[in-house]
Amino acid sequence: MQNALPKQAKDAQQQHKLKRLQKLVMQHEPVLQRGACITTGFGEIDAYFTAHVEQAGLPSGGVHEIAAESAADMAAVLGFAHRLAARFLQNGEADDVLLYGQTHAAVRDGGQPYAPALAAHGLSAHQLVYLDGVTMPDLLWAGEQALTCAAVGCSLLASSEAAPDFTYSRRLSLAARAAERPVLLALGRTGASAATTRWRIAAMPGQGWQVKLEKLRLAYDIPPPVSGWTVYPQRSHASQSVPLEEVQTSNLVPLLRRAI
Amino acid sequence: MSSSLPPKPQEPLRTASATNAVTGRRIIALWFPHWAAETSRADYDATQPFALIDMHKNAQRLVGLNAAAGKAGLYPAMTLPDARALVPDVQTAMAAPQDAAARLQKCAYWLQRYTPWIGEDTSPETADGLTDYGLLLDVSGCAHLFGGERAMLEDIAARLAAYRDTRGITMRAAIAGSIGAAWGLARFSPTKLSIVPQGQDAEAVLRLPPAALRLKHTHIDLCQRLGLDTVAALARFPRADLTRRFGPEPVLRLEQALGQAGESLNPYLPPPRFLARKNLPQGVTQTEALAMLIAEMCDELAAQLQASGQGAQRLDLALTRSDNVMLALALPLAHPSADARHMVRLFEERLTRLSNGAGGLDTGYGIEQLQLVAARTTAVTAPQADISLSRRLYKSAPIAALGGLYDRLISRLGAQVVVQAVPHASYIPERAVRFVSVLEAQARPADDATPTPIEATTRPLFMLCAPEPIEVIAEIPEGAPYRVRWRRVLHEVTSAYGPERIGPEWWSRFVGQSPGESGGHNTRTRDYYRIEDTQGHRFWIYRDGLYDREYDRETDPPQQPPRWFMHGVFP
Repeated sequence: MQNALPKQAKDAQQQHKLKRLQKLVMQHEPVLQRGACITTGFGEIDAYFTAHVEQAGLPSGGVHEIAAESAADMAAVLGFAHRLAARFLQNGEADDVLLYGQTHAAVRDGGQPYAPALAAHGLSAHQLVYLDGVTMPDLLWAGEQALTCAAVGCSLLASSEAAPDFTYSRRLSLAARAAERPVLLALGRTGASAATTRWRIAAMPGQGWQVKLEKLRLAYDIPPPVSGWTVYPQRSHASQSVPLEEVQTSNLVPLLRRAI
Repeated sequence: MSSSLPPKPQEPLRTASATNAVTGRRIIALWFPHWAAETSRADYDATQPFALIDMHKNAQRLVGLNAAAGKAGLYPAMTLPDARALVPDVQTAMAAPQDAAARLQKCAYWLQRYTPWIGEDTSPETADGLTDYGLLLDVSGCAHLFGGERAMLEDIAARLAAYRDTRGITMRAAIAGSIGAAWGLARFSPTKLSIVPQGQDAEAVLRLPPAALRLKHTHIDLCQRLGLDTVAALARFPRADLTRRFGPEPVLRLEQALGQAGESLNPYLPPPRFLARKNLPQGVTQTEALAMLIAEMCDELAAQLQASGQGAQRLDLALTRSDNVMLALALPLAHPSADARHMVRLFEERLTRLSNGAGGLDTGYGIEQLQLVAARTTAVTAPQADISLSRRLYKSAPIAALGGLYDRLISRLGAQVVVQAVPHASYIPERAVRFVSVLEAQARPADDATPTPIEATTRPLFMLCAPEPIEVIAEIPEGAPYRVRWRRVLHEVTSAYGPERIGPEWWSRFVGQSPGESGGHNTRTRDYYRIEDTQGHRFWIYRDGLYDREYDRETDPPQQPPRWFMHGVFP
């Protein structure tokens, strides 16, 4: 009994300190995101944003990390990233382009974008400017250059082997917020980062993706995101996404049910 | 060569040499008698007999010799066995006329340090069908920069002999008032370097043999049979008689050599309209110093461009090192620009890239001369505003803003890296789309190839750079895959959709070629399947070939059985 009270008091003290610290940080660097907000196009995820985030969407000005659950999920990561990029582009001018850069390793492992399939993900070939294999420093440099150009609606940087270090992540994040344009980082590996959001994607049977929102740096009082959703991008009807807990095997629609 | 005075021509020569004196046109002709042989190898040794060989009339024959081989008794068009019998230690190499011509062109670019106006030699074909390598330089008004004509010729000879690509080259040169005279004197003058004072072309040429007039070998033979052993002997005849006997060409050549008929020089590169140049008293090695000099030149060039309402589409920067090696940087611009700051930024990017990269910018003992040329320009209607301004400014012209970005990306990453996808009319998936540089993609019209109509959802978002062979276990040979091993990982297939059959394009010229590791890759039918494994990863794989029709164990040689390939990944 004697121990409990000081512990509570301690906790309260800590909470108070944290609040004060957050307030201080807010004064110097308001986390209020700038730039127009987009909806992701996946019902459940958008519902979460509507419920918890003031702007009811994903802000343009910022770095959004999309990370792979395992190395094999890189294709799903890029698929999700393309979806988001398409939403960002729809939000901007009609002739905006998507700058899509890949490191040498990412090209070798995952291949090049295939233009005839872009339409299925809301993009078109003439919108895509592609950097076909560069080094990691060059990739980040290109992303920063793209932020200085008004006609690039979104840039998507894919690296399957390394993540930018915190310094560069913060640099990119500040630049993106100042430019009010998004940078999507599709990463096979993650580290410390200053990104606004971080998503963790894994492939799911039945043409689905398991999407987890690991980090959301829009304000300090947002409750921690739910564990995740499973989304089915190819299904056109409204309830594209299902909370992860409710997923059952019966939801899967195999392309061709094997007769064995 | 006779030392007697040339016989007086019967027909008075028209006094065109007087006009030459007025215009003061001065031409240098350079002749490299053994160009192809002497420049073909980096480790060329002038003391050893060396010959270039080629298949000609069913035998390996000598098509190029060096001086030592000529001295040893070898001659062009000799067969290789004969040559080996005569000179057992003759060194040989296969002839590559394109390479020799390319080297000559490179040499011509290098010679731009003397004059911007450098032309191809228009030599007639020789009797044995060999190419004659020579260059023509219009150096009117240039010689005083190099300390006079003799000093200039000596400088050219010395530098060429020291230049890495043409070390120890045999060269003869002449400077005269007309192309014809310089050409003839370079080849037939008794001295290696000959200089004809202004207005004395006719006297010098009249002493030479008729072959000095750039005549066809049939005409030279005819002259010999008629006993005409000098140009003067030929010039003695009335022109009408000559024309009747030889046709119009020798008369034209004679008049051109004597400076009576005009002839223009056909330059490799037209002299640049917009050019900034810096000659340094001392070699500069630091990249930072070079960047400063380049910035100054960019300012100068931009001012020139703006004054005439032009924008540069390509910039060529040539750096001449003190050991005569020329470094060239070409900078294509996405959009015509006359903005000095933009140019400077691009060059800085390129220079840091070069000095950091593995290849490196090797300034050697220092850069002596810098030359910046707007190689391609086009009219720009409005003066260009700052390329990095806010969106509002570019609302009307977003392409211009993109152009600036493309330039920066290309100058650092290379034009082949910054690409856009353009459709191509083909059913073979990897040929249905091609990546071209953004510069090229912008230049081409919007719809030059009708894309093959396919449903987007049936194609993978990512295509491997080349199809990768995989191990597949299928239920039946012609059936869907059951287990797939790709990059040493086993995937259990839970569902498969297919096959989508894509036949070879028999009408295409690519049929029969077999790029990649799998033989006969384009001649077989492909069956594509979209598969999903237990983890939910989705792939696009195909079987190359059909078991019943395109595979037959009995044929000789036996055909390869159909193989499976991984081609793409669905997200």
